[in-house]
Amino acid sequence: MLNLVWLVPALPLAAFAAISVVLWRDRRAATWAAWLAIGASWLIAWAIFAGTWGQPQLATEPVRVGILTLPTGAEFLRLGFMVDPLTGIMLFMVPFLCLLIFVYSRGYMDGDPRYSRYFAYVSLFATGMLGLVVSDNLLFLYVFWEIMGLCSYLLISFWFEKESAYRAGLKAFLTTRVGDALLLLGLLLLYSRTGTLTFSEIFQADVLSRLADTVVSLPLLGTVPVAVLASLLIFGGAVGKSAQFPLHVWLPDAMEGPTPVSALIHAATMVSAGVYLVARMFPLYAAAGPGNGAMTTVAAIGAFTALFSATIAVAQNDVKRVLAFSTISQLGYMMAGLGIGAFVAGVFHLVTHAFFKALLFLGSGSVIVGSHHEQDMMKLGGLRTRMPVTFWSFLAGTLALAGVFPFAGFWSKDEILAEASHGGHMLVYVVLTLAALLTAFYMGRQVCLTFLGQPRSHEAEHAHEVTPFMYVPVAILAFMATFLGLMGVPADFPILGKLLGENPFHHYIGEMLTLTGAHPEAHGVNWPVMLISLVLALLGLFLGWLVYGRRPLEAGQPDPLRRVLGSLYPVLENRYYVDEFYQATVLRAVHWLSATFTAIDSRWVIDPFVNAVGRSFGRLASRSSSFDGRFVDGAVHATARLADAAGRALRPVQTGKVQDYLLVVATTVLLLLGVFIIL
Amino acid sequence: MNALTTLGLLSPEILLLITALAVLTLDLIWHGERRTGWLPYLAVAGTLAAIVATLAIYGRGESILGEMMAADDFALFFKLVALSATALVILGARQHIAARARREGEFYFLLLSATLASMLATAATDLISLYLAFEFLSLASYVLVSYLRGDDFSVEGGIKYFLYGAVASAIMLYGMTLLYGATGTTTLRGIAEGLNRSAGPLASLAIPISIMLLAGFAFKIAIAPFHQWAPDAYEGAPTPVTAYLSVASKMTGFAVLLRVMVVGMGDFQPTWARVLGAFAIVSMVLGNLVALQQPNIKRMLAYSSIAHAGYIMVGFVTHGLDPVGFTGLNGVLFYAMVYVFTNVGLFLGIIAFENATDSTKIADFAGLFRRSPVLAISMCYFLFSLTGIPFTGGMFAKIFVFGPAMQAGPFGLLLAGIGVVTSVVGAYYYLNVVRTMFFVAGDASAPAVPVGRLVQIGLVAAAVVTLAIGVFPQPLVDLASRSAVVLGMLP
Repeated sequence: MLNLVWLVPALPLAAFAAISVVLWRDRRAATWAAWLAIGASWLIAWAIFAGTWGQPQLATEPVRVGILTLPTGAEFLRLGFMVDPLTGIMLFMVPFLCLLIFVYSRGYMDGDPRYSRYFAYVSLFATGMLGLVVSDNLLFLYVFWEIMGLCSYLLISFWFEKESAYRAGLKAFLTTRVGDALLLLGLLLLYSRTGTLTFSEIFQADVLSRLADTVVSLPLLGTVPVAVLASLLIFGGAVGKSAQFPLHVWLPDAMEGPTPVSALIHAATMVSAGVYLVARMFPLYAAAGPGNGAMTTVAAIGAFTALFSATIAVAQNDVKRVLAFSTISQLGYMMAGLGIGAFVAGVFHLVTHAFFKALLFLGSGSVIVGSHHEQDMMKLGGLRTRMPVTFWSFLAGTLALAGVFPFAGFWSKDEILAEASHGGHMLVYVVLTLAALLTAFYMGRQVCLTFLGQPRSHEAEHAHEVTPFMYVPVAILAFMATFLGLMGVPADFPILGKLLGENPFHHYIGEMLTLTGAHPEAHGVNWPVMLISLVLALLGLFLGWLVYGRRPLEAGQPDPLRRVLGSLYPVLENRYYVDEFYQATVLRAVHWLSATFTAIDSRWVIDPFVNAVGRSFGRLASRSSSFDGRFVDGAVHATARLADAAGRALRPVQTGKVQDYLLVVATTVLLLLGVFIIL
Repeated sequence: MNALTTLGLLSPEILLLITALAVLTLDLIWHGERRTGWLPYLAVAGTLAAIVATLAIYGRGESILGEMMAADDFALFFKLVALSATALVILGARQHIAARARREGEFYFLLLSATLASMLATAATDLISLYLAFEFLSLASYVLVSYLRGDDFSVEGGIKYFLYGAVASAIMLYGMTLLYGATGTTTLRGIAEGLNRSAGPLASLAIPISIMLLAGFAFKIAIAPFHQWAPDAYEGAPTPVTAYLSVASKMTGFAVLLRVMVVGMGDFQPTWARVLGAFAIVSMVLGNLVALQQPNIKRMLAYSSIAHAGYIMVGFVTHGLDPVGFTGLNGVLFYAMVYVFTNVGLFLGIIAFENATDSTKIADFAGLFRRSPVLAISMCYFLFSLTGIPFTGGMFAKIFVFGPAMQAGPFGLLLAGIGVVTSVVGAYYYLNVVRTMFFVAGDASAPAVPVGRLVQIGLVAAAVVTLAIGVFPQPLVDLASRSAVVLGMLP
């Protein structure tokens, strides 16, 4: 069964091919092709997941399916797919979410002129993500990574008639390219040092220790172990894909795409890929010992991003933008978790977050469709009675994200916090706890503004519940967001711990840690941490209700927060002016550079070079023959004169300066001979 | 070895010769009749028969005709390369040549003769047979380039090609005479022994001699700095001939280069590897940068083919730097085969377009996707393969030459680095064509581009093979590795 893993990415790829070549004329056929492919992928993926459950030895000896054996260099490069617990848990999450989002898309994209194209793109997107999680080597991973990059561009700018959508797609593509370039460098470094790109070969104990022991000297950084340098470069790729500071700017703009795409990018696939990459390469990060530069960087960037974007989310008014910043913030949690060495907690949060964030995005999509494409929360309100299924589902997602017992986010977020406090990373702990408070607050704000009170616009007044194609997937996700966390309940939690077995998730994923040489151990319940985070979550929600729910806003009334925060509010609203900062510095510099280089290229290098070559040949030729000198000066006018002189019969021969060519041949040969005879 | 075995090992060449003569004779007999339409089918059938015969004698690996030639796997692999290219080019040539020249039978005859010369050159293990085959190929190519007698550009390209070729050939011949003078033999094996034995003043001649030989080989390969004839000849030649020069002729040059350098000059590898490495660097940089500026697709592909010669050379240089096993050599072979199907595939698309519009300007491809979606998509796929995007043969070809280079010390790493960076530059001008076809609005009222049946067959065949290699390269990998090993094992 596990050997069928290659089918998981192959089926959506087949759907993509079938839709784009044959089925695109027929919408119904295109829909079914995409659904059947992802549905079959999902069944196979869950069968594989079930097959790996309770098989901890897979962590160290994954099932590998060879696809290619390439004799490059002195070694064979064996590339293929594999299954281990980390792949297993991703296979549990990704195809299922994709399937739900595909079904939801049927309702959301109904009537779009490029409906079939949409399904072709999302199928390819699913291929990218599924291929990425089943790859057993960095080369395949990189290929699928780039496929996703391409699809994100295509899908974000799907409605490319809109200037903003087109720009957002470009921004996403270019920003993530910065990270991709670093990732590629990391790959090349690893390959040149180890001669392999296969995970299981890199993660051999002796290879890892060699990477950790050899150091390279770098300007500014000093001597750095190769393992740390490679980890940092790879982390660069993850920063781009997972929208971590300072490459987070693309993600909020990516909201320009259709909402199911937002759910796909922000929950199930693209942003998860960055975290997955760090989790996958975790043995390499851990190779240089705890607290090394790579791990510290990951933790610092993750924690900073978590708090940074949580503050921004507080002052956003677009339904989807709040969620976008929330995603960045939550990804920061995962990165911080991995950075402090809490591998299991980081992956756990990746999985639960994928479910409840997909729920929130699809819920917000329903809100947008239901209220006739009104996205400004200040103009919504009162949707609770008009869209009941959406409201209750969205509420479940909110409680999960805020971290309220017993919803999914509570368990996973708490585990990261507990690990931070247990491992003595107090700064990380405090920052993440603050972010948790803000998370609860902005989610409370969003629910109050969107669903409670009275409608503040005509569109919201006439909102209606959406079609079953849309609310059924949302309801399923609400169920998952409520109960999924139970698979990671600490073993010594009263009643639940005993009831659910000894923390099954930890048993399943924890074995991966043996690759790092550590022994997986689950910490017990840390009551103070758990109670503090629960209290803060409730406090945040309560504050949100206090400001926005107790006395609902009137239409046109400004955000009360604007008064409370004073001059800080515009800063948050404008996202700390990071975009503007990039516009003023990086982009301007790049524009200047490219203009300069173009000028240098055409005015100072290419043209003068061509002219100089022409002139020097002219001189050479004039020495050998004064006649030649007249028509070999490399300029068009001279060529014309030559043609006149040589007459019509010879014209076709003479115009191309064969003499020049032969002179170059002779010069080259003589030069080479000279060099070798002298040396 | 008896005469029958020899004949068996020469069967691909004999089949091709018979086909060529048959085409020429039938063209004379049928002159002016509709029946001449059968000639391309006959030529393709003969080529396919030669391919089958080549596959049938694979793995026998013997010297034939004294030590003049070897029918080893290495030669057979390059024969397959040349034959595949020929079959595809003939499929593309029918309509193009019939509309532009008076006689088309002669064209197939010349094309088959050139291929015959290619096959003999790849098999040659003696300087005499090598030089004869090489000149045979050159002469046929000169005529092919200037085949459109009424077209100034075609004639101009042919004459430039001829003048350049004559000089390069003279330099090469001078090197060969020196080699004979130094070692007293013309067989490659004997030369290797002779140079080895006379490890004194004569051995110091080896490098100057190889530089002179390289002038001839590099001309055929069209690698910088011996590339200058290529843009003019490629632009002026009839488009099918351009396609032929860019793959069959080029790869024959590589085959001869590999055999002479590895077998004859094996002792001096570290030195000439660096010379060739310099060629590769210049080619990759110059080819890609200049291609950026070209408004004509044929001229652009001429520079692109110079760049690809550089990429392929990286694989061979890697072998020279680190001659253990088959490192890098199999990459050259793999790349050669992929490049044939990708590049000729693209040229078939260009031929179809040129037949309908009589233009090869990139700007005129605007809106092709609206006019002829299938043609645009297939051309787009070949351009992707040239760029090296996944699910195309081109990606694996690049992995195969750059991968080993990365492990071959600092110089190898430098080559691979330049290769990767210039490939990215290359992506720009390849994808620019895609952009023009798909996203630039063209003349909305322009009719669909009709694609002839033979061209259709060729396009589909090339696309299927490129895709097959891109998705499942293992069989070709094995074949290339096996064939490369044979060369490495020869004394």
